[in-house]
Amino acid sequence: MIQYVIAGLVLGGIYAIASAGLVVTYRAAGILNFGFGAMAYLIARFYYFLHSQLGWGIVPAALVAVVLAGPLLGTGLYFGLFRLLRLSSPLVKVVVTIGVSVCIPPLAAVLFGTEPILRAPGLAPEPVQVFLVAGVPVTMDQLIVYAAVIVVLVVGAFVLLRTDIGLRVRAMVDSPAMTSLSGTNPRWVAVGVWATSAFLAGLAGVLSAPIIGLAPTDYTLLMAAAFAAVIAGRLCNLPMAMAVGFGMGILSSVLQFLLPPGSALTAAVVPSVPFAVAAIFLVYNLLRWGSVDENDGVGGALDLAITPQGAESLTGTATSAPPGGAARRRWSGAIPSGAVLVVVALLPLVLPNFWVGLLVAGIAYAVVFLSITLVSGEGGMIWLCQVTFAGIGAITSAQLASVYDWPVLLAVLAGGAIAAPVGLLIGVLTIRLGDLYVALVTLTFGLLMDHLVFSRDVFVNGGLGVPVDRPTFATDDQTMTYVGLAVFVVVAAAILNLRHSTTGLALGAVRTSPAGAKTVGVPVVRMKVVVTGLAAGVAGIGGALLAVVAGSALPENFLTLGGMVWLAVLVTAGFRSVAAALIAGVAFAVVPGLVLVNLSASWNQLPPILFGLGAIALAKNPEGFVLQNGRALRDMAMRSIGRSPAGHPRHPAMTTASRAAPVAEGPGPVRVATEGRRSVLTETGERP
Amino acid sequence: MTSAVTPADHDHAEPDAVARSADGGLLVEGLGVDYGQSRALFGLDLAARGGSALAVLGPNGAGKSTLGRAVAGLVPVCSGRVWFDGQDITGWAAHRVRRAGLAYIPEGRGIFPGLSVLDNLRMAVRQLPSKKARETAIDAAYGLFPVLEQRRDQRAGSLSGGEQQMLALGRVLVVGPKLIVADEMSLGLAPLMVNAVFDGLATAREDGVTVVLIEQFVHRALAFADDCAVISRGQVTWSGPAAEAGPQVLEQYLGAAAGPA
Repeated sequence: MIQYVIAGLVLGGIYAIASAGLVVTYRAAGILNFGFGAMAYLIARFYYFLHSQLGWGIVPAALVAVVLAGPLLGTGLYFGLFRLLRLSSPLVKVVVTIGVSVCIPPLAAVLFGTEPILRAPGLAPEPVQVFLVAGVPVTMDQLIVYAAVIVVLVVGAFVLLRTDIGLRVRAMVDSPAMTSLSGTNPRWVAVGVWATSAFLAGLAGVLSAPIIGLAPTDYTLLMAAAFAAVIAGRLCNLPMAMAVGFGMGILSSVLQFLLPPGSALTAAVVPSVPFAVAAIFLVYNLLRWGSVDENDGVGGALDLAITPQGAESLTGTATSAPPGGAARRRWSGAIPSGAVLVVVALLPLVLPNFWVGLLVAGIAYAVVFLSITLVSGEGGMIWLCQVTFAGIGAITSAQLASVYDWPVLLAVLAGGAIAAPVGLLIGVLTIRLGDLYVALVTLTFGLLMDHLVFSRDVFVNGGLGVPVDRPTFATDDQTMTYVGLAVFVVVAAAILNLRHSTTGLALGAVRTSPAGAKTVGVPVVRMKVVVTGLAAGVAGIGGALLAVVAGSALPENFLTLGGMVWLAVLVTAGFRSVAAALIAGVAFAVVPGLVLVNLSASWNQLPPILFGLGAIALAKNPEGFVLQNGRALRDMAMRSIGRSPAGHPRHPAMTTASRAAPVAEGPGPVRVATEGRRSVLTETGERP
Repeated sequence: MTSAVTPADHDHAEPDAVARSADGGLLVEGLGVDYGQSRALFGLDLAARGGSALAVLGPNGAGKSTLGRAVAGLVPVCSGRVWFDGQDITGWAAHRVRRAGLAYIPEGRGIFPGLSVLDNLRMAVRQLPSKKARETAIDAAYGLFPVLEQRRDQRAGSLSGGEQQMLALGRVLVVGPKLIVADEMSLGLAPLMVNAVFDGLATAREDGVTVVLIEQFVHRALAFADDCAVISRGQVTWSGPAAEAGPQVLEQYLGAAAGPA
């Protein structure tokens, strides 16, 4: 028993360090870093590269990797990326850090090689010494973890409470606006915070290498577990988060001791501990406070007042009504989308079979992506588990079609019908949570489903997945492409119709200003829950379609971390447009094929890097490339036929006010109506 | 003379702007500010001669606080220029503006509610060069408002409203600013506390600090100030010596409520 507690303390210590790294950037820099696990992996992999591949000694390798490269990574990411996110919406912040998380593992493969690593040494010299403490064996690696945790705690507490640097960090946490009004440059505080956080990521990464090995997904999973501790600390309570991290580690280890070894129950319960902890704390906080919002207690009224609020900041200017009223809005959306659709529809007729095979999968992806368009673009929510709903749809339809002999297309619909209530349930459960909590809970739900459902033998079927036959009339890729496109068109039309309906208007109101929407009597809760259910249904249908296209429902294609890449791809293209979903789906399937065919095997890390970079680019262009370029093209086309594309006011407040009090604009670079987008860019960036 | 410029004379030569904002003066020309897609200020012009006191009056939503935030560098300026102490500070980050000697006390409470009173003062005096100067400044704050010393280890957010404003004012006064923009400092305070706030500002003024007073207590502010600017819908609609801001002016721009009271 004691032995398990000691082992648990190691895992707990790593959780504690990780949660400290997560909380500190969230509190002082406003960003919950979903890329933390990937950063930990990168540093750990770098340490392995120096120590094991180049043969450096432990001390120089650890110093260079953790003490030097870690803070450098953090500083670089701050200046290159996080700096731009200061005033971005929660969605953009989340997706950009997810982009980091998608980018880093393939980048590490390019930098350090791809040979599989069977065993990763820790910071202790090999062979690892074992001590007997009160009759219990303790390894040197474990002792190093304890020492690291104690040092982090003591030094961290001292710096925060007793030094000038700590004072500045605490001031930033309290109110960034007041910090700068006191004459302190918030940027240097942020640099320090990111460097520290990356150092902690590297430390946690190197310490956990001997325990979990060196696979990037294991790191992301470990850090996702640390999120549970962060939730328990309500995203801001550092001591609480660290204490819960410790507790989780010990609990997992002790449960392993108490439950029968090697049983299915143990395999299901132990990995679920962090998620159960997160759920318990959320329920407790909900019961105690009525709602849990990450904005509670962060910053002051002044910080809120100078931060752009509502849809313009959440999703970019495109969310505001395009000029010209409803008629023009329909027109401007339908023509480009229609053009994209026609092009995609013509592709199977001209492309060789290999490409049609990729295209058909791409269209199935596009249907899944539409669910993200629905939940994030229309509903304004950050859901990270659409892939899980797709997986539910896939395994459901496979079971129905193959085991119960349902007609395939009916089974596909049933896949959606099963996924929808699950989405509805999650929607109801998360409705009183803030944006970031919703992201965390959906991530947690997805990971839990990975563990508990998607790993079951019934669905895995010996690694082959349950087979699904295509409909008898569409066994070839070409016909299947059109079946997929038909599904896509129906769903896309439904989304466009929803957008223009009263419900869509209400959703727009909720997105723009939840408080305002409530005031005018829009049922916010019902609107959001409806969207979550619909989106889960769409994802289910899309997932089932993917299974049909692939010929089997393979659960490992629907793991939550893979879904992060999906989100990155879609948001890169633009999450407000159905055409963007189609382009994103096709690109997601076809780009790896292009790389495979045209470039040598050493380039096969390129697509994930590109997808990750795309999401990162969101920091600069929150609308996605399809909308942005689409608008540029449309404006160009309009100009060529002699109509002014941008002559309409996009500053409603400005026009009314200037009518009331006509005034000559002052000199200098006046941002006028022509570019609604530019004002957003300036807001998302730093002040010039 | 300091009365605000009219939109007609935008074409200042630079030396003129330098001269007019010398000695801690403030000169705002054609200032425009956006919040997202809505515009808050439309080419606003304003001037406060170094060492004088300017009262900025206006109804709710006129853009008074936006003016303060823009001058302090908290919100981006989209047109126009801001001159302070002989320098063009347009587009400077807030901390740089503060270090140049322009102190903005925001509406609400200009403090860190989650930090202790002592930590609040420590943050304020960080910009002073030597440790000795910092300690002297903190002692000076305790001298100005003795209650702060009694409450030095208390969380600033748990002070009373008046004490919080004393802290906000103390944080600013002891660092030797050249200009103070005080945004609605008397809002929601007990009359005695309002007196304390005005006394504090008067002390600063005697030391030659320029004071820009954004206020709702119209008569109190006019009695305090040399000049007055009335803002409405993001523009200056009247400006002149405070003594000339008679009932007609106030009634015209602020509505009947601001009339005889």
